[in-house]
Amino acid sequence: MTDTTTQERVSQRVPLWRDVVVLKWVTQIVLLFVVLSVMWFLASQAGDNLRARNINTDFDFLERPVDIQISEGIDTHPDTGGRALWAAMVNTLRLSIAGIFFATVLGVIVGLARLSDNWLVRRIATSWVEVLRNVPLLVQMIFYYSAMTAAFPRLGLETGPINGWLHVSNKGISMPRVHIADGFYQWMVVVLVGVVAAYFVRRHRQRIQDVTGANTSPILWAVGTIGLFGLIGLFVHPVFSWLGSVFSAVADLLDSLPVAVPQLLFSAIAVGGATVWIRRFVSDHRSARGHLSLTDDDWFRIAFVAVASLVVVFLVVRWSGLSAWTLNSGRDLFEVLADKFNVDGAARPFDAMRPDIVQPGKFPNYGKNGLTMSVGFASVFFAVVFYTSAFIGENVRGGILAVPKGQTEAAKAVGLRRGQILRHVVLPQALRVILPPTGNQYLNLTKNTSLAVAVGMSDMVQVGTTVFNQTGRTLPVVAIWMLFYLSCSLTISVVVNWFNVRMRLVER
Amino acid sequence: MTDTTAAEPTGGQTRDLSGARDMIVCEDVSKWYGDFQALDGVSATIKEQEVVVVLGPSGSGKSTWIRCINRLEIHQEGRIVVDDVELTNDLRNIEKVRSEVGMVFQQFNLFPHLNILDNVTLAPIWVRKKPRAEAEAQGMALLERVGIPEQAQKYPGQLSGGQQQRVAIARALAMEPRIMLFDEPTSALDPEMIKEVLDVMKTLALSGMTMMVVTHEMGFAKEVADRLIFMEGGQIVEQNTTELFFSNPTEERTKLFLSQIL
Repeated sequence: MTDTTTQERVSQRVPLWRDVVVLKWVTQIVLLFVVLSVMWFLASQAGDNLRARNINTDFDFLERPVDIQISEGIDTHPDTGGRALWAAMVNTLRLSIAGIFFATVLGVIVGLARLSDNWLVRRIATSWVEVLRNVPLLVQMIFYYSAMTAAFPRLGLETGPINGWLHVSNKGISMPRVHIADGFYQWMVVVLVGVVAAYFVRRHRQRIQDVTGANTSPILWAVGTIGLFGLIGLFVHPVFSWLGSVFSAVADLLDSLPVAVPQLLFSAIAVGGATVWIRRFVSDHRSARGHLSLTDDDWFRIAFVAVASLVVVFLVVRWSGLSAWTLNSGRDLFEVLADKFNVDGAARPFDAMRPDIVQPGKFPNYGKNGLTMSVGFASVFFAVVFYTSAFIGENVRGGILAVPKGQTEAAKAVGLRRGQILRHVVLPQALRVILPPTGNQYLNLTKNTSLAVAVGMSDMVQVGTTVFNQTGRTLPVVAIWMLFYLSCSLTISVVVNWFNVRMRLVER
Repeated sequence: MTDTTAAEPTGGQTRDLSGARDMIVCEDVSKWYGDFQALDGVSATIKEQEVVVVLGPSGSGKSTWIRCINRLEIHQEGRIVVDDVELTNDLRNIEKVRSEVGMVFQQFNLFPHLNILDNVTLAPIWVRKKPRAEAEAQGMALLERVGIPEQAQKYPGQLSGGQQQRVAIARALAMEPRIMLFDEPTSALDPEMIKEVLDVMKTLALSGMTMMVVTHEMGFAKEVADRLIFMEGGQIVEQNTTELFFSNPTEERTKLFLSQIL
């Protein structure tokens, strides 16, 4: 045992300021402390200064009335600041999601056209790319806006439903729309059952295809199953009206629960989650022979997770408002659901309506009946779609050119046809080159929709500006903007990264 | 199979293939890249079960020629007839020829995003419309034949060059071709891997496959080839049975080439 004592004496002699383990821990804790104090200092300073200058940073404007007219969307005359921002957010999301979809489709077409064997197609695609990516987006947007307002006829003053399918005017384009009616939610339950059935139908057809080799078109069968259930649902949907009383019962139950229940639940989730994480982490770091090897970094992570879970428990217990709010929201949600199901048994799921014209103020505009795209929305939409399609097209072209020529030759040599080569050999390999820069283009498109303020389209930025002009809450509105655009960007990033990981090649 | 009189393959010994059917017929095939003439009136006939090795210095047009035979390059003059199907602009003929002719490339050209078994079964499933289970059984049998069944679930990037080239041979064989074309199959390989690929090719030749091989491997040519074709400047300089080609070359250029390479 002399060896051990010698070793102990040696390790005792290491002074604290030279001990790597101690240094690492001290650094982590000091760094955490510094970051927290800087944040606290900045926040308290900003708070003091804002108070001294009488600038309000509270969020009560979200519930206070505002006088805003929104060009289009779910609510054109919102009564509160929060509702206005919500309607504007829906407009921006509509623009971004539709924009991303159509820019991708158009971009792929442009990219393939630039590689076409056909001289004319190639030239047209090249001009498309060169013109659109070299003219500033704002200029394009204003050009489409002025072109459309100048070229389209003025909206008439007569109100009421419009005859004809498509109505085009300098206020926009309106067409008939299918509205969700009272029976819709019961019908959706039938469709959901159909989706589950479609999953099994698809698996069954796929199995037949794998065994016999015959083309059994499993996807087509799955879609057909959903369609069939949707069709049957049009007639049988009232059978699900009993769900209304179930939802009512759940709402009543949530209403009667004491606040302690969600508090206990959240605490259990936090502690349980941390325990599971730590146990898995430890077992992942245990070697086959049961030897545990954890670095200081690992210990710090374990400690951090344990402390974080305790902090969550503390907050949940201390701040019971959160739990009460969760209960109330849950109750409200189920009450709303119950209302949706407690309808007349003969209610139809859908209603079709023609566009109408109303005259709320001085000028006539389209009413809520039709599916309307305002000139502002159209100009922003076409501008971002065309502009982004030029960049995505270049990504697609670059990605396809990055696949070695030998791949196409090998695929030809085993007898695959053009479409099969594209689908099974070229595109899977091109996608991993195309995706990352295209994800960036999606982010750019979402952020570029904020230029809509230039053509008076009510997006997040335009409405937010009006809100803070009326309420004086500049900082809170800016904070909401930042949070909104950040969430959009992070969502897109997560989706694109997920695809990227799936596409990665296995090497070594 | 109209003719089964073809002699037993004897591996390099001259065998009588005069009664065998013509598998590849080239008549006055010419091709230009811009002003540069890559092929200049190439005429040759390759019989069923015959193994032909094409020799020649770099840039002599041997790769271009072999690539014309399954239409990876388009010849501009002359005729190429493969198994009684003439290669023209008719897409149906091109597809027919490609599914009858297997090809192995210098750079392997395996599909890096598919695992080894999927590389082999891709074409049988999508071109021949085989059931997946059957295609995979056949694929495993082929991997067995080229000696790497244990790598079936790996990806091309995880295999050595020699293993990749053997997978490429299995991939070509999966379409059950009647002719195999080899375009410098061992040129990109380390010396110790060349042998494993050549062994697979020898077995294939002994099984009676019609083969056309562009290579610099003289040992392989002497041992396996029925006939040698020597090319230079896009023309066939000399062609003869293996024995006569090495023992008694007639052209000065062939003699010079052989003296440098042997």
